[in-house]
Amino acid sequence: MTDNNYDFTLIKAGLLVDGNGGNNFQKASVLIKNGLIKEVGNQESVLAPEGSTVKVLDYGDKTILPGLIDCHVHLNGIGDGRVGNDLVTLPDEVLALQSAKNARRHLYSGVTTVRDCGAKNNTTFMLRKAVEMGITPSPRLILTGRPISIVGGHLGYFGEEATGEVECIQSVRKLIKQGADFIKITATGGSTITSLPFRPSFTKKEIQSITDEAHKMGKHVAAHCSSSQGIINALDSGVDTIIHGYHIDSDETYNYRPEITEKFIEKGVFLNPTIYQARETIKVLESKQDQGSLTEIERENLETTKYRSEKVAEIVSKMVSEGVKLACGSDASWTYYKTGDFQSEISAHVSVGLSPIEAIVSATKDSAKSCWIDDKVGTLSENKIADILVVDGDPTKDINNLRNVVDVITNGEIVDRENLI
Amino acid sequence: MNQEKKVVLASQIIDGTGTKPLEESAILIEGSTIVKVARKSEILQIVEHQEYDLLDYTGFVLIPGMVDCHTHHNGFGDGRLGDEIAEIPDEILTIKSSSNARIALFSGITTIRENGPKNMTMFRLRDAIKSGIEIGPRMNLCGRPVSIIGGHMGYFGGEVTGVFEVTRFVRSLIKEGADYIKITQTGGTTKTSFPLLPAFNIDELSAITNEAKKFGKLTATHCVSTEGTINSLDSGVDMIIHSVFKEPDGTDKFRPDVAERLAESEAFVNPTLHVFRARAWEMEKLALKRPLSKNEIKLFDEHRRNFDQRLLDCSKMMEMGVKVITGSDSSWGDYKLGNTIHETECINMAGYSAPQSFDSVTLGAAKALDMDDIVGSLEVGKKADMVVIKGNPLEEIGNLRNVHEVIFNGDIIDRGSKDSNNVYIQSPPSKN
Repeated sequence: MTDNNYDFTLIKAGLLVDGNGGNNFQKASVLIKNGLIKEVGNQESVLAPEGSTVKVLDYGDKTILPGLIDCHVHLNGIGDGRVGNDLVTLPDEVLALQSAKNARRHLYSGVTTVRDCGAKNNTTFMLRKAVEMGITPSPRLILTGRPISIVGGHLGYFGEEATGEVECIQSVRKLIKQGADFIKITATGGSTITSLPFRPSFTKKEIQSITDEAHKMGKHVAAHCSSSQGIINALDSGVDTIIHGYHIDSDETYNYRPEITEKFIEKGVFLNPTIYQARETIKVLESKQDQGSLTEIERENLETTKYRSEKVAEIVSKMVSEGVKLACGSDASWTYYKTGDFQSEISAHVSVGLSPIEAIVSATKDSAKSCWIDDKVGTLSENKIADILVVDGDPTKDINNLRNVVDVITNGEIVDRENLI
Repeated sequence: MNQEKKVVLASQIIDGTGTKPLEESAILIEGSTIVKVARKSEILQIVEHQEYDLLDYTGFVLIPGMVDCHTHHNGFGDGRLGDEIAEIPDEILTIKSSSNARIALFSGITTIRENGPKNMTMFRLRDAIKSGIEIGPRMNLCGRPVSIIGGHMGYFGGEVTGVFEVTRFVRSLIKEGADYIKITQTGGTTKTSFPLLPAFNIDELSAITNEAKKFGKLTATHCVSTEGTINSLDSGVDMIIHSVFKEPDGTDKFRPDVAERLAESEAFVNPTLHVFRARAWEMEKLALKRPLSKNEIKLFDEHRRNFDQRLLDCSKMMEMGVKVITGSDSSWGDYKLGNTIHETECINMAGYSAPQSFDSVTLGAAKALDMDDIVGSLEVGKKADMVVIKGNPLEEIGNLRNVHEVIFNGDIIDRGSKDSNNVYIQSPPSKN
């Protein structure tokens, strides 16, 4: 849908939320040339140069803000409750298809960049090729390909288990060769049957070898951590984003650890707390309970999830109040959290103490920062890529207004959200 | 099992059985099946005290979901050949196939016979559709085409030699889920193949057809030279694809004796006329943009002559009583999926009346696939696959392009925005 007939595109809106956390303009304009933002400001001052041709998109009293950046997705996921061990039994072609479907859903729901935190084999790299070939629409993709895991560790079934510093370095190089934009590791076990969620996985030395190699190549590292020792290992070994960040000891008790918060702040590391994931599970299982179709395993799952969800919210709230920075990432479509509802995770950030505008920053500018792409996207400012979300209502007053998507714009062009081909 | 009732009304219902369009009539759907076709008043009386959805298409014509006997879902329809497509990884081809499947469905094609993809790509797509991950039309699949070493489409992964290997391969394909067996009995565009020469020896070809028959599966052969068609007739093949009359030296020569045998046999012919014209269209479009080079003019003339020749040969086959059906061959070469009616229109040009051409893309096509027990016409017990169109196709076959709505398995298909559906439409050069 390239519209090459115009020199500029001028977007007008009643309110502009630029993603920086302040500077909200009434009656704002964004001037775009060749897919890049040239100027942002008031409608009176931002105009295309005289004599040039301009396509005007006037959104009246609607709000424009940066396209949302979901820093934690699983494009392979189906979101019907199945765990990774089941998902991985599907053939690569089917997972590539599912990834294409999820990519489309993200984009149509207002997410213009996703960081995929782990997929089977080459499926996400293949999706990227398909996107480059013009076969299927997608948000901007920040990929790890396969997460690096210890033998039997969390997500090891996706195909990248490594042991010792040399193998870890080898995995990093291999993934980068295949097109990885960042490196995802699992620093503790998780839902993977053979893994131990409350124990650390890699040694600090192994993690350090991964972060050193990745940083050398200009790539960042994000670590799955579902227990305290895992967080500490990752923070001590140069990891850039901590995922989940549950303060759980090896005896499975939740204990807030102030020294972890201190390390976060000292190192300027982002926390991607994935709060809504558990809430969606609770929602689905409770509705099953209401229908009387809950199995015994699901009942146990519901009880544990409820307990954990409360504990996690409590601890994340504490961390937030102490000054830990959050990067918003949904974790969809893992287990029950279906793609296309990133807004629920952003709202969950409000529930742990962020103001709506801070929650928006966590899902735009800070999410971009945690993905090391804040030079390109994340705010509506000069020379950034024109990835823009248009919504009805003021999301800084009510975060739920982010759901009222009017248009999604990438590279300065409106996405046809009804393109099902 | 969803047993929701729907009543479908339209100004005219063309049920596909060859009878006159029904007026003041309606169709009752229960779940995914047609349970009654009758007078509107009668059907409304049946459902009077029941819950049902009314789908009122007054002003439109209701026809059976269409059947395309020859598609290539791995293809792009942008001129690139199979040799190039085979180099693309399977995951990407599966994504492309899925997109092509939706395009077909959105254009009113509710059943397709895929004529040869790479590796497991189409089986995987069908798995994904079955598990609800994707949507797409009903699929009649061959998995990989059976080819000699270096033969046409051998790059898709089905090269075999000798009676033993071909037999084993047919069994493997059936195990994987093949509904029919596709064989390339002459070379084709594949660089290492010989289009003017037959591929398999008769003992090999017969072994394939016999093994397929044993399991109740049909066979179809790609034949772009006459000897291939003769071999196919000798081996009891059920569908001859292209059925090009060319001698080993490359000269065009219609063979009445071969056509006679085709007419007498049970075999269907899928002449794939438009795929030859599609190349000529593209060159003509290019000529509208810039002057063609000498070489291009030569090629353009060749393509046009080739199309005229195919059309003429097809006319002769039709006159002799050969059973011709619609199989587009898209997205092969320059022919994009979603434009099946270009082929049906060519069949009309070659001599089939509009009603005959209509049959070639509905019940006739379903018969050729041995699927007429479930699709092809709007009859009781068949799947509720139907298309709502504007204008009577029995008067003007091109009306089949005016798709207003697609109903598949009893459900209205969300076809998305009009703009996105216009993207795949290929128009003749003059209209561009």
